[in-house]
Amino acid sequence: MNFGSEALSRPLKRRSFIASMLATGTLTLTSCGTDDPRASIRFNQSKPEVVPYFRDLLSQFNSSQRTVNATHEVTAGLSAAFARNDPPDLGCLNYNFEMARFQERGALSDLSDLPQQKMNAPFIKQLLDLYPDYPGRTSVLPYSMMGASVLYNKDIFEKHSLSIPTRYSELLDLCGELSDLGITPIYSTFKDAWTVSQGLADYCVGGAIEINQHFADLRELGSDFTPDSAVTFSKAFTDPLLRMQELAKFSNKDAANRGYGDGNLAFANGQAAMYLQGPWALPEIAKTNPDANIGTFPLPMTEDPEDLKIRVNLDLALWIPEQSDHKAEARELLAFLCQPELQDAYNESALGFGVRSDSPPTTDPRLKQMQPYIDNGRIYQGVSTAIPRTIPFENYMQGLVTGGSVEQTLATLDADWARLAQRS
Amino acid sequence: MTLTSPAKPRSDSKRPLPTPPAKRRRFEATYLGFLVPALICFTIAITVPAAMGIFFSFTDSVGFGDYNLIGLANYAALFTDPAIIGAYSFTIGFALVTVLLTNALAFLLAVGLTAQIRARVALRTIFVMPMVISGIVIAYVFNFLFSNTLPTVGEYFGIEFLKSSLLSNPDLAWLSIVIVSAWQAIPSAMLIYIAGLMAIPYDLYEASSLDGASALGQLVHVTLPLMIGYIGINIIIGFKNFLGAYDVIVGLTNGGPGVKTRSIAMTIFTGFERGDYAYQMANATVFFIISLIIALLQLRLTNRGQVK
Amino acid sequence: MSLTLQQRLNKRSRSRVGRERTNWWATGLLGICALAVLVPLFVTVSMAFKSAKQAVDGKAFSLPKPLSLEGFTEAWELVNFPRAFTISLLITLVAVVGAVLVASMASYAIHRNWGKRFYRFSFYYLLGAMFLPFPVLALSQVKLTGLFGLDNPAGVAILHVMFGLSFNVLLFTSFLRGLPGELEESARIDGASNWTTYWRIIFPLLAPMSATVAIFAFLGSWNDFMMPSLIIAEQADQTLPVVQQLFQTQFSNNYHVSFASYLMAMAPSVVAYLFTQRWVMSGLTQGAVKS
Repeated sequence: MNFGSEALSRPLKRRSFIASMLATGTLTLTSCGTDDPRASIRFNQSKPEVVPYFRDLLSQFNSSQRTVNATHEVTAGLSAAFARNDPPDLGCLNYNFEMARFQERGALSDLSDLPQQKMNAPFIKQLLDLYPDYPGRTSVLPYSMMGASVLYNKDIFEKHSLSIPTRYSELLDLCGELSDLGITPIYSTFKDAWTVSQGLADYCVGGAIEINQHFADLRELGSDFTPDSAVTFSKAFTDPLLRMQELAKFSNKDAANRGYGDGNLAFANGQAAMYLQGPWALPEIAKTNPDANIGTFPLPMTEDPEDLKIRVNLDLALWIPEQSDHKAEARELLAFLCQPELQDAYNESALGFGVRSDSPPTTDPRLKQMQPYIDNGRIYQGVSTAIPRTIPFENYMQGLVTGGSVEQTLATLDADWARLAQRS
Repeated sequence: MTLTSPAKPRSDSKRPLPTPPAKRRRFEATYLGFLVPALICFTIAITVPAAMGIFFSFTDSVGFGDYNLIGLANYAALFTDPAIIGAYSFTIGFALVTVLLTNALAFLLAVGLTAQIRARVALRTIFVMPMVISGIVIAYVFNFLFSNTLPTVGEYFGIEFLKSSLLSNPDLAWLSIVIVSAWQAIPSAMLIYIAGLMAIPYDLYEASSLDGASALGQLVHVTLPLMIGYIGINIIIGFKNFLGAYDVIVGLTNGGPGVKTRSIAMTIFTGFERGDYAYQMANATVFFIISLIIALLQLRLTNRGQVK
Repeated sequence: MSLTLQQRLNKRSRSRVGRERTNWWATGLLGICALAVLVPLFVTVSMAFKSAKQAVDGKAFSLPKPLSLEGFTEAWELVNFPRAFTISLLITLVAVVGAVLVASMASYAIHRNWGKRFYRFSFYYLLGAMFLPFPVLALSQVKLTGLFGLDNPAGVAILHVMFGLSFNVLLFTSFLRGLPGELEESARIDGASNWTTYWRIIFPLLAPMSATVAIFAFLGSWNDFMMPSLIIAEQADQTLPVVQQLFQTQFSNNYHVSFASYLMAMAPSVVAYLFTQRWVMSGLTQGAVKS
């Protein structure tokens, strides 16, 4: 057998062929970048209802200047992106516990020097205080706030000369009256757990206790929290949740089998007097019945009308990750989006409330009744947004309205919180 | 390819060949070149993540940003967490049932396929098919069957528990996962049993039938004892594989209803989105230790089998 | 002479003397069991060829009337089948070629140098990974691949090769032990280097085991859902099994579209299997027994 150079070249050729095939394959797999000379930044905004709206805004931004090219990203689940060291350059997301985690760990850059921060309405601070921020930083800039309270059918109320309750006792009387008249007082959709926690639970608990204070106390206890601490869920939430169960009894009989879609449909068709949902349901309701005559009032949980508050949440807040290499360009986009005309136009179309001290009041007839409360800072954030998703709060609330025990559920919640506090 | 050199005394292929000193360094380089790059890639791809995971299990990291060392707090929390305990009991229970079902059916099919049957090739082709299909895809197909077809069958025949979808029944949803996982796993176990059955000397059967044994008797007294080794290995490997169940569960119930059918792997994967990275790393470490114990058991069994 | 069942079966079919009775009971029973495999596949094909109107009623056992290709055209677009297919194909190709090459080369080095401690320890080190199921490593691998820019199909291909390394090295080393040493010796005497010896003599001899390794690697890579779903960051770059998730959230009642997609996802491996059956069968049994 001849092992001269000629024979050697054959395996060499085969080897290099294989190598080049592997290389080509690998190169194709690691997708190549774009050839745009402008700085490219990624704008992440995933709220489905307004994706087209922001896509328009982005193209306006891109055509208005020549240095930055912004691409619209709609992927949710940003935790993995942060873990990969690959977060977007500007984020525009719901400000909730999951997002608060980013700021707590120092993953978001400091935005306190932005001129827009000075424009924040006074009640914004209360919203931002619910979650701990990174020491010495302001990590987010609010963009849009949703206000939510009980939706009620104005026609039914007018027809039977019913007045809006401002005390818990009046609320119970109202429900009793409606039942006697054969009208479903509250339309509930127990099949979808989130509707219970964001509706009944949030309104009942928020209307009864000081949410911010409760969670601030819990944060102070930290890992010393036990089910026997001075501040626990069992101590604070028992009364509001018992009342929630009382109210839930005034729901439609088939609530356990009904979901969000069914609820919107039913309420649009006037099948109930009240619907404990938020303004995000209004466009859905309008699809069925554009002429539905709907109003809002805060759910009274005490005997003092001064305690009435609206549930709010920062539906959209802007942030720039610390890891971004294009912070300056991201700030350009941020400044563009925060121009008053654009921001106000967005809130108008998305049924949101403005977050600046000079934001115009809402013009939507269905939301108008909430404006005075918001202007006076009589707001709270939903408890459902203050509990991390690792605790299945939604399912617990769902269990309560389908026959569970408040004592047991809150004991479980305390145990869950204790366990969580131990390891964080 | 013809050999032109004279015949050499036969050397054991395990002992390294004597090499002239001048060529030794060249040899060494090639061998190292064959092995070391693979070792390096392997270390980066496998060992480093494993070490990272174990390290972070002692912290409160969420996968990014700042973190602190918190010692064994994650592990302490693990052992009292009903969600974790539920995932383990579901997964272990499911794995036990499925591995027994899979191997019983695979064994019977193997016996059947090695018997005197017609259309052997066609039947064997059909029975091996499930293993070439992706788990998630077949799970979606069965999802449809369980949600739409079975209830119709239940209505038609009046079988109560079938009338609503098996997948949303909190007590029976796990059955659907057992069925589909077994469906997919039977071919590989079956092939191993066939290989084992083919190697059994036929005169053992002849002798036993001369002694008057029935077909069933032969099965129990001749076949089974000889196949015990294969059965043992299959069960251990199968159990380990089912412990890591993921694809099929995602396709059928996605852990539902609620979290009733959420496997250990699914629980671990939620680690990033719930800020539980460090916590799930502790979970993963526990899972690793369990897999290790099972694998050592497996090694023990193979070694004993080899000694025999 | 003691014959094994295998030899007996071969002998029987060759001699064509029908002395042994056909076991009709077993054939029938097996046929019925075969339905368990055929029915789901039949349903997939049947639903895929239905028209939109007929598909939404969700009746599994009605035949498509009329036969329609709407499902396929829609699924093709929705799932971007060409792109997903190509990505799956490239990953699998790299994974298979990588598995065979890397594992065989490493095994040869280990086998040839079994006397030296470094190589022996490497063997046990590589084998150790068989104890590490993917879930244990997954999240940390997500972090690392992101760091190295490998949170894409290339990363998945590399990980597939690395995960298979333990098992494949085991297979190759045990196979190498059964090879006679004379061929290598003769080559060396003729002056061949290690490199040449390996590629010209050993590697061709490894063909049967390479086939086994290739088959396992193909199946493991092509049908994999878990790893690509976690590692590939960009949704547009996902593999064929992962994109099937699309039909769970949207288009849930357009069964003809979802089943057409499932069928298109299943078809390549099923067709490949049907054509290469014999080699697959022997490869799988051989590999299974060796392990």
